[in-house]
Amino acid sequence: MPLIEFHDVSYTYDGEAFVLNHIDLSIEKGEFVCILGGNGSGKSTLAKHINALLLPDEGRVNVLGHDTADQTMTYFIRSHAGMVFQNPDDQLVASLVENDVAFGPENLSIPTEELRSRVADALADVGLQGFDRRETASLSGGQKQRVAIAGVLAMQPEILIFDEATAMLDPRGRKGLMRVCHELNERGMTIVMITHFMDEAAQADRVIVLDGGSIACTGTPQEVLTQHELLERLHLDLPFAAELSYALRHAGVAVAATVEPNQLKEELCALALKA
Amino acid sequence: MNELAILGRYWPGTSPIHRMDPRAKLLLSLAVMVVIFVAQTFWSLAVCALFVLGFFAISNIPLRSALRSIVPLLFVVVITALLNIFFVHDGTVVFQWAFITITDEGLIKAVFLAIRLVLLLLAMSLLTLTTETLDITDAFEYLLRPLARLGMPAHELSMMMGIALRFLPQFIIELQTIYRAQVSRGAQFKDGKLSMVKSLVIPLFTSAFRHAETLSLAMDARCYHGADGRTRLKPLAYTYLDRNAVLVVALMLACVIGANFIPQTF
Amino acid sequence: MRISFEGVSFSYANPDRAEKRKLRQKKRKEAGVIDAPASLAEHKSADWGSDPEQVWALRDISFTVEDNEYLGIAGHTGSGKSTLIQHMNGLVHPTRGRVLLDGEDLADKAVQQRCRVVVGLVFQYPENQLFANTVAEDVAFGPRNLGLSDDEVATRVAEALASVHLDVDEIGDKSPFELSGGQQRRVAFAGVLAMRPRVLVLDEPVAGLDPVAREEFLSLISELHAQGITIVLVSHNMDDLARFADRILVLNAGELFDLDTPARVFARGDELRSIGLDVPAAQKFALELREVGYHLPRELYTTDTLAADIAAQLGAHNSPTPDTSTPEVVS
Repeated sequence: MPLIEFHDVSYTYDGEAFVLNHIDLSIEKGEFVCILGGNGSGKSTLAKHINALLLPDEGRVNVLGHDTADQTMTYFIRSHAGMVFQNPDDQLVASLVENDVAFGPENLSIPTEELRSRVADALADVGLQGFDRRETASLSGGQKQRVAIAGVLAMQPEILIFDEATAMLDPRGRKGLMRVCHELNERGMTIVMITHFMDEAAQADRVIVLDGGSIACTGTPQEVLTQHELLERLHLDLPFAAELSYALRHAGVAVAATVEPNQLKEELCALALKA
Repeated sequence: MNELAILGRYWPGTSPIHRMDPRAKLLLSLAVMVVIFVAQTFWSLAVCALFVLGFFAISNIPLRSALRSIVPLLFVVVITALLNIFFVHDGTVVFQWAFITITDEGLIKAVFLAIRLVLLLLAMSLLTLTTETLDITDAFEYLLRPLARLGMPAHELSMMMGIALRFLPQFIIELQTIYRAQVSRGAQFKDGKLSMVKSLVIPLFTSAFRHAETLSLAMDARCYHGADGRTRLKPLAYTYLDRNAVLVVALMLACVIGANFIPQTF
Repeated sequence: MRISFEGVSFSYANPDRAEKRKLRQKKRKEAGVIDAPASLAEHKSADWGSDPEQVWALRDISFTVEDNEYLGIAGHTGSGKSTLIQHMNGLVHPTRGRVLLDGEDLADKAVQQRCRVVVGLVFQYPENQLFANTVAEDVAFGPRNLGLSDDEVATRVAEALASVHLDVDEIGDKSPFELSGGQQRRVAFAGVLAMRPRVLVLDEPVAGLDPVAREEFLSLISELHAQGITIVLVSHNMDDLARFADRILVLNAGELFDLDTPARVFARGDELRSIGLDVPAAQKFALELREVGYHLPRELYTTDTLAADIAAQLGAHNSPTPDTSTPEVVS
């Protein structure tokens, strides 16, 4: 059974314009899924349906086998599908790192002895060992986002949702955050990442492109992110390797469409040897 | 950012005072302030000062940082002192010009009150310097609990206080950015025109609302649902430290009362 | 319009006192007190840029923003970029050294006043500074502060909105808070343009925008540059800097690391990486291909020029192939 299922989901904020339009979608355990789309494509709205921050107007969302509309399951779903938001300054509740990381499990009535170990484990998972007594205000943006991830991990979730969590970071902070995501994914965490950085999307198992509240296209990064015309129509960039391989094919060089710079490099090496 | 520290931003440490139960610390700081009010003579004030300095020594906080943390409130001290200098007319006149009369007693009283106020502020900042904001709000919530039975939202109030304290430094930085941006557009804030004030206040408010919106979503996403069933990373528990602290404050009270009887000679 | 920095150093604290504070902190650390910032040296060097205890935010910076150039400024968070650009219109004054606008010292109040008009500063996320009831009023704030007549203000508002591709008749009476994020940012930008600046200093102007809005905004800036306005652009995005800037100034820990053409700056790839910066993707790829024997003569590559040069080199031996690879479409 898929971990997350959307059945014909529609949603509107004002009762007129539909932000989500008949979405059908399923995400399996352990997948790393990127959701792409321009501003106003509905990607954030979709994400907020996974942890019952929003409930569908039409259709049904199932997470871990439970309907998100079932109010008795709300906290179960939220603790198993944690969310990291865009602005690092807006989602930390406490002034001290350890207090913030403990906030989620405290709400879940986890006993004090276990809270300690959960906080320590969660901070270790995001590479912030020894930061427990630091003030959140003294951290860099990237570190704050990692504290936010730790705060979610301390609830021991099965799904991590990133709602443009890298948008406000500098390249260094972004790289650190992506590294943490991939490490967690390798250990079995299901990741749903909303972004408009194509190079981040290229590292996912699967990408879903939204346009005007509907799914425009889905597939592996290799399948989707190499489609020049489609992405251009959807106002999205291509990852660098896809862009270059596209330009090369147009210039008459026989290389395959790829999102992997290394693969392109190997092909070009082979061609150079032949020449 | 450090320059913006307001009345004792938390100063991390592991001293006995840091490790005290926040409830005991909150109540005992109030007690220390009362004791400072009990002091009636310079001798007893000196005793208070000795104790307060001792507390800072134990807490391992350099006195200079402590003094810096009360600088923003020193104007209260200065105003109180000036009022006493100009408006107390008992005793011998030491200076007179036009309508200004300064007497020796006015001067003495001004100095006395100034010292007392500084000591009060220091006692207050000792609490905030050695206690994390969430702990203060926890203690606050606990002490308000009797009132919660009467329908007062103790948990909500203390949560609000905690969040306000957590966002305060951020708002100060944001206000500074907004100020600089508007100055870059030629704004002049000297004459306090309404449109100028508006250009600072409205962006600050919209930003506060924006922060509040995401923060409430983020708290929802982390399963926050009020005090109900919440556990604590740091449960409140009284220890021998708190007992000792009670004894120390009692000793301070006794010394101050005793010192009140030593005659002042000037 | 030239802005010259002469030996500019800047410290948030009085440097002598800050030195002492550092000493005190060292003592505290030795005494076993846990410190809020600046503990854990390894992490400090890894991510922690904006050390509030750092004595000098800028150290001995000398350079000149030339008339009508497009200057890029790069450096990772905490390298002093924001502090540097706030010196350019006298918001912040050097602790040591001086900043000159066409030879006049910005320490002088009168020069400062003039400077605020000629040098327009667009802060990060400028839409956060919108405040008026209508778009037109907000854009008019600057010109009104200059004491211009109502007619002149109206002209300038219309002109400024037009230059960010917005129509005063269409949105002038709307509340700025009704607009989309991208539009809000353009209104805020128009608010600075209405001062008719000769120099525009922009701090991460496209942060948080989606790809389309990014491109629009960047081409807007290029248009203004083509009209003769000097541009200073702070950005994390090396591809953008390589594409647009005439020269790039690289800051590292408050010091001037490099100031040169994009080609020469990005030739120092490894050094840039060591201070936490990247090289544009095409340039990086070109360097890698050179190592495996490709002859790529250009100093600075974009995706298109790189594709052209690779094709040219392989072309002698490879007959041009039509675009055969049709990827599977899954929808």
